[in-house]
Amino acid sequence: MVSLMEKPKAMIDRKKCLACGGCISVCPQDAIDMQSSYAYVNKEKCTSCGICIKTCPIAAISSEVYNL
Amino acid sequence: MKYDVVVVGGGPAGSITAKFAADSGAKVLIVERRREVGSPVLCAEGISRRIDKYNIIKKGNWIASNMDGARIFSPNRTIVKLAADIAGSETGYVLNRELFDKELAKSAIKSGAKIMLNTCAIDLIKEKQQIKGVKVRHFEDEIAIEADIVVGADGVESKVGRWAGLQTTLKPFDLETCAQYTLSNIELESSYCDFYLGKKIAPGGYVWVFPKGKDIANVGIGILASLSKPGLALKLLDKFIKSDPKLKDGEPIRFLAGAVPVAEPIKAVKDNIVLVGDAARQVDPITGGGLMASVEAGKAAGETIGEAVKQQKYDAEFLKSYEEIIEKTLYKKLKRNYVVKEILLDMQDKTLNMLADSLKDYNFDELSTLSLLKALVAKHPSLLIKLKPLLKLSRM
Repeated sequence: MVSLMEKPKAMIDRKKCLACGGCISVCPQDAIDMQSSYAYVNKEKCTSCGICIKTCPIAAISSEVYNL
Repeated sequence: MKYDVVVVGGGPAGSITAKFAADSGAKVLIVERRREVGSPVLCAEGISRRIDKYNIIKKGNWIASNMDGARIFSPNRTIVKLAADIAGSETGYVLNRELFDKELAKSAIKSGAKIMLNTCAIDLIKEKQQIKGVKVRHFEDEIAIEADIVVGADGVESKVGRWAGLQTTLKPFDLETCAQYTLSNIELESSYCDFYLGKKIAPGGYVWVFPKGKDIANVGIGILASLSKPGLALKLLDKFIKSDPKLKDGEPIRFLAGAVPVAEPIKAVKDNIVLVGDAARQVDPITGGGLMASVEAGKAAGETIGEAVKQQKYDAEFLKSYEEIIEKTLYKKLKRNYVVKEILLDMQDKTLNMLADSLKDYNFDELSTLSLLKALVAKHPSLLIKLKPLLKLSRM
């Protein structure tokens, strides 16, 4: 179970992502990979810094809201 | 599977490196994540005619249109014009990148390189601290591809560099985050490639209009990631198009997002790993153009790798001669333009307007960032003080 105290992690909207790779290039934790045609966040590595969210030109990345 | 060289990424940098390595007799494999070379396009599609001198591919339908020149619009829309008829042949083309990339891949294949599509590199193969090749995923299968040299031509998001321990992570102030429509149903009176500057138009970047024909153009925006907010690039692009009488009735037939490194080139060789193209940050930091840099660097890398295979010297000591080849040409220019990028970013809109006003009647003999710089310094000798760091990098 995810702790309530945990910060929200980056989440990529696969329907929007156009696989430009910008988020991957700026991620200081190397937490994002390119899957077949969209970027994918490795939640274990993500430290919720938000750099990728700001960088995305088309707002395809947001903070994940957990349903607890 | 065992090759002399495995190239990760089938874009221009990868294909050109593969071609020149294969020309020297190396056994080369290109692995491409996508199912089709050149698609989807992630590019504004402008390239200098210097590409012709390389004689890699014959002119064909990969050229969408010839540029008449370039126009730079300052924030108050003062125009600085670099015309082709004055600049001679040193202008450029607007490409059909999906076809351009395929021609380059075909040329690599013709030279003997092999290519695997739908093949995503997932890690390096390391044995006893030595890199022995690349692990790839091809649909459900994981395959080990052994190689003596691994080339990371895997673009702005390069993973090969990171796996090898090279510092490739970009700071947000070294990345342009981009969006682009290919707009049809517009009316263009000329084939000038237009650049629009201004903090409100595109903070830390510019809006471009690159005509692909009389009624169609790539209309895009790049903004500095450090000045970006979620989705800001697209919002500003939409705003620009709506406010432009020539563009506002345009209908998009293609939409793309993009990311362009505007950093200094990084160390591109470690052990038997070679980075090339966007992966090595070989992009003009002022314009964001990376195609010619990939051509120049790809040729140098491919030839060096070919020689390394011949002599069986798979180490950084030998391979880094690739960086030495481009140090005095490509890298000198990229490092100079990085300094200029920093100066430009510091400038207020009114300074850009003043500079544009002083250049509006200037006859440029060449369409390049260097000729712009020379003109600026000629008009404003005081700029030399700001440009002083450059004097070490280049004799202007």
